Amino acid sequence: MSGAGASAVTKEDLVMNHLVRLSYREELSPNLDRFVDGLLEGKLVGQRCPSCARMYVPSKGYCPLCVVAMDESEAVEVAQVGTVTAFTVITPVPYYGQQQVDPFVYASVLLDGVDTPITGQDITGIPHEQVRSGLRVRAVWKPVEERDVSHISNRGWGGLDSVISSFEATGEPDASEDSYEEYAL
Amino acid sequence: MTVTDIAVVGVAQSASVRRSRLSEAQILVPTIAAAIEQAGIDRREVGFTCSGSCDYLTGGPFAFVSNLEAAGAWPPIAESHVEADGAFALYEAWVRLQEGDIDVALAFGSGKSSPSQPSEVWAQQLDPYFLAPLGLDPPSLAGLQARAVLDAGLATERDFAEVVARSRRNAAGNPHAQLRTPVDVEALLSQPYVRDPLRRHDLPPISDGAAAVVLARGDRARQLCERPAWIKGFDHRVEEHLPGLRDLTRSASTSLAAAKAGYDGGPLDVAEVSATFSPQEGILVRALGLDGDVAVNPSGGPLAANPVMAVGLVRIIEAATRIMDGQAQRALAHVTAGPLLQQNLVCYMEGEQ
Repeated sequence: MSGAGASAVTKEDLVMNHLVRLSYREELSPNLDRFVDGLLEGKLVGQRCPSCARMYVPSKGYCPLCVVAMDESEAVEVAQVGTVTAFTVITPVPYYGQQQVDPFVYASVLLDGVDTPITGQDITGIPHEQVRSGLRVRAVWKPVEERDVSHISNRGWGGLDSVISSFEATGEPDASEDSYEEYAL
Repeated sequence: MTVTDIAVVGVAQSASVRRSRLSEAQILVPTIAAAIEQAGIDRREVGFTCSGSCDYLTGGPFAFVSNLEAAGAWPPIAESHVEADGAFALYEAWVRLQEGDIDVALAFGSGKSSPSQPSEVWAQQLDPYFLAPLGLDPPSLAGLQARAVLDAGLATERDFAEVVARSRRNAAGNPHAQLRTPVDVEALLSQPYVRDPLRRHDLPPISDGAAAVVLARGDRARQLCERPAWIKGFDHRVEEHLPGLRDLTRSASTSLAAAKAGYDGGPLDVAEVSATFSPQEGILVRALGLDGDVAVNPSGGPLAANPVMAVGLVRIIEAATRIMDGQAQRALAHVTAGPLLQQNLVCYMEGEQ
């Protein structure tokens, strides 16, 4: 604000900065807690709906289709191999904060026996132009000491790239279309 | 106003707890299922669903979307959301039922206050120029209101403590309540102030919880429920946002909402009012013209359990339940929102004659 003797109202007189910071602290729900513990041990843990038998990785603790709660007894470790259901190759454009410089893959991977594709995964061990739906891949874990789960919260579990560096092609024959056509997200 | 006969036919609430590890959606799954089970319907019969919650409280944008999964959103359903208490969602469901093309509607509300700092969050609902930058939190505002009540000679600090003692006594019989241990008025009055003239007991607990209500129309309500709680009137009124421009010792919009809801001032069996801070109970009792015979907050009220965004719907549930189980014939529920009783909703219900 202007000091004593100021004669005219200036723009500075009219502007007041009001910075707001809201902080939240929350324990992970039991289902996410089990998922995170699994990640640190190199396991993928989901939950199977007791009503429709769909497998969710990670689980929300309930089946959103059947509206049935799931508990610890439905927790299951799932396979680490799966199928690419959909993908894109992104050519990064430079902007502030962009850390990628080379083209990269963003793929959805449907793990064997699981009903929820994991989106946004890097695919390695194969040239980008050969990435395709149906490609069989396996998880490549980061070294234990580099795994970071701090971004996972009840509000969204984000990506897996802080624990699984990529999914690499296994060299198996491609999966048939009908094995993943219901999951082509 | 002439309205179609609409009644509460199914209710459920979670326990209110200081800190739940479950997500809001996880708390809602069994709560909504219980309300639907009490109504005796299949969830696919619900023609309209409305939810109430607050993303600022949950701490995530569009947090209400996953809450909807707890109602069963597949196959797709007709639904709406209010960034408000579930009681306002119930109001929207009641309006929707009056169109006459559907017979059953569901409303629910949920909130977890435990992850946030409520004093930080609720300062943000004040006007952004004069009050929010001060970080004026609800207990501080309530302290100003309490001081105004004392200065006007309308109550004493002992009256405030007696409201709290009765809340705890009543809550002892309420399995959903959070603060259920009886307290002694003298012991309360010996406690230090946290916001002079308010002591800690004059403030509500911090709670996580959820509630759900099923409404049905006309003959369908009579089929589903032996003794439906008929909504005779439902009204919502808003006052000036700036607390400094209001007489804080009165609640004119509560009086108006009650009158517009058709409450005629006659005898009531039960009144559940959203007195979030103990001095507000007297303000609301005067605004509603309640006499000494009516049971005010027999559940313990918000001073015993305060699951924000569900706590108002819980008032309607507690009032409706006493009609449905035959204890009451005429019941009134009051719900508030905004700083210091800025917005007030009244739901007036009766049993079958």
